[in-house]
Amino acid sequence: MIKLKNIHKSFNQNKALDNLCLEVNPGEIYGLLGANGAGKSTTMNLLLGFLQPDSGSIEVFDSQNNLNNKKDKIGYIPENVNLYPYLSGIENLDYFCKIAGLKYKNEELKELLSECGLESDAHNKVTSDYSKGMRQKVGIAIALAKDASIYLLDEPASGLDPLASNELSEMLKKLASKGATILMASHDIFRVRETCNKIGILKKGKLVNEILSKDVSSNQLEEIYINFMKN
Amino acid sequence: MINILVNEWKGFFRNKLFVFLSLFFLISLCVVTFFGIIQNEKQLEEQKIAQEHIRLQWDQMEPSNPHSAAHFGSYAFKSTSILNSIDEGINAVTGNVLRLEGHKQNDVVFSEASQSLLISKFGKLKPALIFQFIIPLFLIFFSFNSYTSERSNGRLKLLLIQGASLRQIVFSKVFSIWVIGIVLLLASIIVQFVFNSTELSSDTFLRLILLLFTYAIYFFIIVTLTVLLSVIFKNSTAALSVTILIWVIWTIFLPSIIGKTAEEISPLPTRIDFKESMASDRSKGIDGHNPRGDRRQALEKATLEKYNVEKLKDLPINFSGILMQEDEEYGNKVWDKHFGSLYDQLKSQKNIYQISGFVNPFISLQNLSMGTSGTDMYHHLDFLSQAEKYRRVFIKSLNDEYAFGGSKTGQRGWKASNEFFRSVKEFQYQNPTFSSFYSKYIIDFLILLFWVSMLVIFLSFSSRKTLDI
Repeated sequence: MIKLKNIHKSFNQNKALDNLCLEVNPGEIYGLLGANGAGKSTTMNLLLGFLQPDSGSIEVFDSQNNLNNKKDKIGYIPENVNLYPYLSGIENLDYFCKIAGLKYKNEELKELLSECGLESDAHNKVTSDYSKGMRQKVGIAIALAKDASIYLLDEPASGLDPLASNELSEMLKKLASKGATILMASHDIFRVRETCNKIGILKKGKLVNEILSKDVSSNQLEEIYINFMKN
Repeated sequence: MINILVNEWKGFFRNKLFVFLSLFFLISLCVVTFFGIIQNEKQLEEQKIAQEHIRLQWDQMEPSNPHSAAHFGSYAFKSTSILNSIDEGINAVTGNVLRLEGHKQNDVVFSEASQSLLISKFGKLKPALIFQFIIPLFLIFFSFNSYTSERSNGRLKLLLIQGASLRQIVFSKVFSIWVIGIVLLLASIIVQFVFNSTELSSDTFLRLILLLFTYAIYFFIIVTLTVLLSVIFKNSTAALSVTILIWVIWTIFLPSIIGKTAEEISPLPTRIDFKESMASDRSKGIDGHNPRGDRRQALEKATLEKYNVEKLKDLPINFSGILMQEDEEYGNKVWDKHFGSLYDQLKSQKNIYQISGFVNPFISLQNLSMGTSGTDMYHHLDFLSQAEKYRRVFIKSLNDEYAFGGSKTGQRGWKASNEFFRSVKEFQYQNPTFSSFYSKYIIDFLILLFWVSMLVIFLSFSSRKTLDI
């Protein structure tokens, strides 16, 4: 469970988040839509513990503001997955798993990478030769390998081709069906509508609207979003 | 932490530039150490030949007057330690041969620098030069962005989310690069072991271990400082600029500034003033060649009374020998007074220089490098002290032979036998053991450990929080 209550956060007197309240329950995929600078990344950094709010409370699982002993239950996919360029895809995955204290066999690692859409002939190639999408797939595999309860995804489909993007949506839905709590920040209205149960529109640090995706079509969601951005 | 370390090493060894530079330095160090050993052996061999030649001349001396033999004199050769091939310290400028003769104490001559046309601030290419100036730069260039690159490309966040702590990450960076420095150090030390194995005494072994330990600590300081600055500045360019600035200040500016300050605080007399002052004090003693003088007359009187005779010609001994020895002993007192004071000034300057390690650990490194190699000022003063002690024994034995060897006062043509000259032992420099000198370097070790402690504390503190990355 993720619960943000009355969060305020400013950087040099510029408000990044203004009284943000947000709740994501187990089994739910929450899509956070917003323009650049709307506060999506700040929200992610607060949830990851890299920033502290000026006021308000953050609840992850059932405790407040203490993520340190719960990192093994959180999977994170950044917008740009920068891997170690001198390691292969499988070596990168293995390394990040070892850091998390997870030991996977080579075959299991390969399986994970394949599940995330990375072609098997790319598994042993150094990632300096990877495209953005291929790196993103390894990043997804790193997050999934943790078998976490909470997933924080910052533009996870960035750089992915439509097929891989669709596979990611399916994967997230599968995780949610198993009880995972997923918060996904994105610009991609269509992908958010397809993937998430609930959608929040963030504008200048304020959550201006919350919609259930089943209540709107992609076109309607786009219209609502554009209206909020224009006003 | 071990996973991060292993990953760092994978990164280094899959980086062609790093591999090329590491191999280049590794081979350079081995070659420089090897040639240093060859050069040292050659120098010792030449010294041995010269020493044997001088001794042969002495042993083949025809029967002569002992006082003439005192003027003929001898030479003290400073045999360098085998570690001179790593760090020649002040040996290049101090010289290694001292002429020993009656009435006067000479300066050391035949320094390599005085015979060389090639004048360089950095001296000859020895492993110490590479360890002190080149390897630290190499370590800086491979550590300045090890943290900032992780931070700027977002991998740091991913590592932290995976459960690594910032402290683990930064200290892994430090250790991974530090170990590379240690490997380069070990290469040079192993070459020393292999090519000097027959001459390795327990003292040399101890010195080598301490030398390794000293450079290892300094490399740790350099790497920790570089990583600390990259954590503080969070920007590769700023971190590199500040690190290089500190390196330049430590290695180029501060040694010169602190050296000048030490000279200001504890100044040495000029060579002319010193010699004039010595000559002035010396002139107040007995002049062995001048029959008039109060001191000489008092000695004459005391000797006549001791042997209960009226005139010098009635003495059973040769008064000239006693007179020469008395003159010698007065000269020794003058030397002790002036050189004692000079040495005290030198030691005082050295103390100031050592203390300055608190602002510049490079100075502590240099002191320890020269100290453990046996090529610093303390070892040189020890050579001068041993040579002067020998000179006194040498001249006294000649004067005693002149006085008590069978001649009588006025027998200027009396000659000591060749057997006597051959019985005079030659000077053999005993290289001091490190254990007899260790107290002089404790401060340098403590200062380096102080730097390590401070940097570890600062780095731990800087990497304590994971916020705002």
